[in-house]
Amino acid sequence: MQVSLSNNHVVIISIVCGLLVLSAFFAGCTGESAQPAKPSATAAPAAPVVTAASAAEPVKTAAPAATTAPAVAATSTPVQVYTYAEGNVVAYTAASLKGVSPKLAEGFAKMYPGHTVVFNLDGTQNLKTQVQNGAYADVFISASNSYTAELSKGGYFTEGTVKTLTTNYVIVILPANNPAKIQTLADLAKPGVKIARAAKTVPVGTATDAVLVNLARSTYGADWNTSIYTNTVTYETAEPSVATKVALGEVDAGFVYESTAIAAKPGTYTSISIPKKDNYLQTYTIGVLKSSSSKGPASDFENFMLSDAGQQILKDYGFRPA
Amino acid sequence: MTSSSAPGNIPRAFTLAAAAVLVAAVILYLALPIIALFLRTTPEQFLDSLANPEVRSALILSLTTSVISLFVIILVGTPFAYVHCRHQYPGKVLVDTIIDLPLVLPPAVAGLALLVLYGRMGLLGQYANMLGIPIAFTTLAVIMAQVFVASPFYLRQAKSLFDQLDPAYEQTARTLGASPARVFATVVVPLTAGGLVSGAVMTFGRALGEFGATIMFAGNLPGVTQTMPLAVYVSMAGDFNAGITISILLVIISFAIMIAVRLLAKTEVPHA
Repeated sequence: MQVSLSNNHVVIISIVCGLLVLSAFFAGCTGESAQPAKPSATAAPAAPVVTAASAAEPVKTAAPAATTAPAVAATSTPVQVYTYAEGNVVAYTAASLKGVSPKLAEGFAKMYPGHTVVFNLDGTQNLKTQVQNGAYADVFISASNSYTAELSKGGYFTEGTVKTLTTNYVIVILPANNPAKIQTLADLAKPGVKIARAAKTVPVGTATDAVLVNLARSTYGADWNTSIYTNTVTYETAEPSVATKVALGEVDAGFVYESTAIAAKPGTYTSISIPKKDNYLQTYTIGVLKSSSSKGPASDFENFMLSDAGQQILKDYGFRPA
Repeated sequence: MTSSSAPGNIPRAFTLAAAAVLVAAVILYLALPIIALFLRTTPEQFLDSLANPEVRSALILSLTTSVISLFVIILVGTPFAYVHCRHQYPGKVLVDTIIDLPLVLPPAVAGLALLVLYGRMGLLGQYANMLGIPIAFTTLAVIMAQVFVASPFYLRQAKSLFDQLDPAYEQTARTLGASPARVFATVVVPLTAGGLVSGAVMTFGRALGEFGATIMFAGNLPGVTQTMPLAVYVSMAGDFNAGITISILLVIISFAIMIAVRLLAKTEVPHA
């Protein structure tokens, strides 16, 4: 008798505890959904260099020992740690900027001492999905106008910050030793040629589709177009992956951006250019996200990217002017 | 008042409650993401996406390649595990470690390694290429990638089962005149079948879910090498609904297989 009564009590207690756990779980969920933990909740829109010192205080970020001397700001070093501290910019960036990103980070730190930028490089389509599902970013660099438009319509960008950053054409690259002996674009349709390209949701994939349609219509015909599709062996999910497959020599040709071909180490690729009239000019845009908590540094980063210094770095790596 | 009169009831109640909360938390953590997946779409959207030919081709390709990989692993792995367990040979410890290697290797690394070996510029692949046999970027590559990453699951399970199995049964069969092969087929396998089947289930699940090695080594071509995990990843960006549909399909298939297997098999191995 005694035992069964206390067992009932036990069941009731467990159910209550379970409900408490559940409600805590859901409360936690809805509370956190909007913003991630921000130690520097003091983010003032204009972030003068001095405040970097005061923001180093919140111990939650693994920043080095916080001194209050403003001099600290000039040499802030915690680059490895992914923090939201003042002066740090999280840039969701189209993957085709992978090669140029270290130089951009350097240039940014030179123009705005005390600021650092962390790049999340991936296909624009993936980055867009992440942002739409709540991922945190300060700046978004998109390789596709249609994805930028989609994010703008969804209200993700701060008004007035969406600007054209740079442009890029499509080019065909071959492994340096050209195993399939491809001399012209017509040779791409030869039977047995292996072609790598990006999936059509990737910006460079959409550009490739457009280029192929243009070339078929103007020069090579519908059969050539069909043969290209038959020869395609893989639809990669980001532009650098296409370049990697070509560099490894595992495919005979790949459709990438001109910037990748120009910026590569000499001797990695042979390239075949596509006539401008048939080519597709991809437009990159940059914008500051409304949910950013470091809007000051984010605008500084956008200014840097649009400045002569930033544009020159992009030009050195094969990107065309905006 | 009767419930609290016995000493030790309150601590006992506490322990039971804590255990119940623990179990509930674990179950919820594992089940809620799956439930969320189902709640994110409607039955109409789900059926609509099923009609998408890319979804169907990914489904058929995934199931076909995973089943073939599973058969390869079982046919080759079971005798291998048996021989490995019943004999002592130099380097046995090393072989044990190598069998476990794909478990800890990141799948993308596995894919790159397979590409560097079997790709047409690869160590062995170049000879295959000369003979006109393409390996990378084919369905064969999908199967090879799945076999590579999923085999440790089956081999470890088989090894552990054969180690536990009392040799007395096999020895008795031998004294009665059965050949080693007959002993293996008619004594060892039936005794360990339950455990082998559960190992096979894990292996099938792992092969079905393989992503990193597949996209590295086999590429991503709808109908040829685009398995369901790849299709989810690619469609997530453009057609979110298709991604969710494929994910739900994967969940249903995995669940159905696991339940069917649990109902059909026992896992006990007789000891002496």
